[in-house]
Amino acid sequence: MSTLEKSVLIVTGKGGTGKTTVTAALGMALAMTGHRTLLVECNGTRVIGPLLGAAESTYTPQKVAPNLHAMTITSEEAIEDFIIKQIKVRALYSMVFKNRIMGPFMDAVPGLHDAVHLGKVYGLVEDDFTDGRPTWDRVVVDAPATGHGLHILNAPKAMMDLTRRGPIFANSKLVHDLTSDRSRTGIVMTCLPEAMPVSESLELNAALTQSGYGVAAVVLNEMVSTDLPSPPDQRALKAALPPEQRVNADALLSRFDARDTHQRAAHEALSNAIDAPVVHLPLLFDRPLHQASIERLASHLLRELESM
Amino acid sequence: MNSQVVICCGSGGVGKTTTSAALGLRWAHDGDRVCVLTIDPAKRLADSLNIDTLGGRPTPIDIPDATGRCDAVMLDVQETFESLIQRFAPTTAAAASILENRYFQFASTRLGGVHEYMAAEKLRELATNGQYDVVIVDTPPTRNALDFLDAPDRMAELMNGAVVRWLAAPATKRGWRGIELGGEAVTRVLNLLIGQNTIGEIAQFFNLFRDLGEGFQKRSVEVQDLLRAESTRFLLVTSPSSAAQSEALFFLRQLNAKAMPFGGFIVNRVEPHIAFDGEALPVNGPDGWAVARSQLLALAEQQARLARMHEVGVDALVAAGPEGAPVWPVPHQGAPVNSIDELAALSASLPTRDALRHTP
Repeated sequence: MSTLEKSVLIVTGKGGTGKTTVTAALGMALAMTGHRTLLVECNGTRVIGPLLGAAESTYTPQKVAPNLHAMTITSEEAIEDFIIKQIKVRALYSMVFKNRIMGPFMDAVPGLHDAVHLGKVYGLVEDDFTDGRPTWDRVVVDAPATGHGLHILNAPKAMMDLTRRGPIFANSKLVHDLTSDRSRTGIVMTCLPEAMPVSESLELNAALTQSGYGVAAVVLNEMVSTDLPSPPDQRALKAALPPEQRVNADALLSRFDARDTHQRAAHEALSNAIDAPVVHLPLLFDRPLHQASIERLASHLLRELESM
Repeated sequence: MNSQVVICCGSGGVGKTTTSAALGLRWAHDGDRVCVLTIDPAKRLADSLNIDTLGGRPTPIDIPDATGRCDAVMLDVQETFESLIQRFAPTTAAAASILENRYFQFASTRLGGVHEYMAAEKLRELATNGQYDVVIVDTPPTRNALDFLDAPDRMAELMNGAVVRWLAAPATKRGWRGIELGGEAVTRVLNLLIGQNTIGEIAQFFNLFRDLGEGFQKRSVEVQDLLRAESTRFLLVTSPSSAAQSEALFFLRQLNAKAMPFGGFIVNRVEPHIAFDGEALPVNGPDGWAVARSQLLALAEQQARLARMHEVGVDALVAAGPEGAPVWPVPHQGAPVNSIDELAALSASLPTRDALRHTP
């Protein structure tokens, strides 16, 4: 089943590998192909809106492009949301959570902050209807980087182990059933063509497998075109240059040669170890990235994912 | 006399650990006794530095021709937490009860801020034991730089705060009580949410912890003093990627808001300009010349665009930083930095301790 057909896509990877950019591009790709898509940022991050030329996201989804909305989850709002649904009395919520003494204590319930993120995602997918049909065809989550991303993915299971029964247990089980179902949820891992991000991706893949998750696609981001002349041509080019320029040409060629080697090695290592397609995105020179950049990346992703 | 504290902060993936290690190497080479406290080094870097990834003990890094020395310590959150408990628990039996508590086992590595708190505690231990001139801290990759600064306070408050006194009231046969807060309703909510057993375990944990509160509070004050010492410097590590740049500016605002002593920017993996002159390349040549020539020119153009893009990024940081804040760009090495030699090559671009001392 193709990555683009799953209801929930969760994007994670090492810090600095372009998770947010890839989330936005995936959402844009889905929106461009006619799916009502919601982008979700975690931990109150608010960068996707401005990236797409819109305002900063809020807990309430805002439209950022045709077919495309964005929101951000803060655990405080998600906890409030969840608890009010459970106990149905706002005054009780305030009494417990806005309480000077109990506030920090509830903050300390292990995993609660992490667990409500996917809990909210579950609500958006399974429990959010407009005119009798699901409000969102696709939900794309910009999850935190590796370690914390894993905590969030493991949180429903951890809450089940901690509580063992009761409404949080039941709710966590529903969430866990959705996120661990590979036909409904896909994990998209972002990576750069460099040794450290690649080895971290392999570790993350192993950890995900151990937690019962599977990776649906790997996005190898910021690939640079490395169209090098053949070795004899390189020698001929250098021979035709004055010595001071020969040094520069050498520096240039060896730099791109090394880059080419790293890019190939990264692709090899990822596709050998991970049972999922490895798709490439080009490095864009736009600074800062803006809506048109995301649209270009979205077209790339569509082409690459549909050809798989 | 306490060690100088240098804190490398920044978002994940910008090379904080590599930078911290390279700084350590440079300063040890120059004659200082250095300790690098790292949180979660990539395996290859840990291997090349010979860092013991278990137990949090300092291990010396072998540096050729160094006049000083450099130890590396990998933070072991669980071990640090356990040794704190053993130190402050009134009896061995009390310590054992805490360590066996199911909530502690959950909380010891997952509680919000626990990584930051234990990093701060480890820093305190290393910076006050008289062994080092300088301790370099590679901070946990949290988005919020303040977490590291506030964690000791927040944890101490939690451990020592009203909730402990409240929860630690003698347990009734219902397992716990919640009278003072008009408790019926509160109890009902908590039972509904996390279940009677869980509450009982949490209550027991806080009850056991009550006697440790004072020790924790005292530690918290010591750490805050260290972080605010006159010689302390915060270095903001970043890379020229657009995501890293906006994170760096976010960090900077937080450091400013807290009036933390800012030491400057370290910008990793900056693509260099290569002054290749395409004009020097003849237009005509042997077979296949035109294609080869245009390939080389295209590579030169790509490198120029990369270098320009990075230059713009560094300039934007300088413009956003405090007046006169230094920037140390570190050229992209073209290959991953894993060995001691590669780290040493990198460290040539980094500030000496003296350069850091004279920052604004």
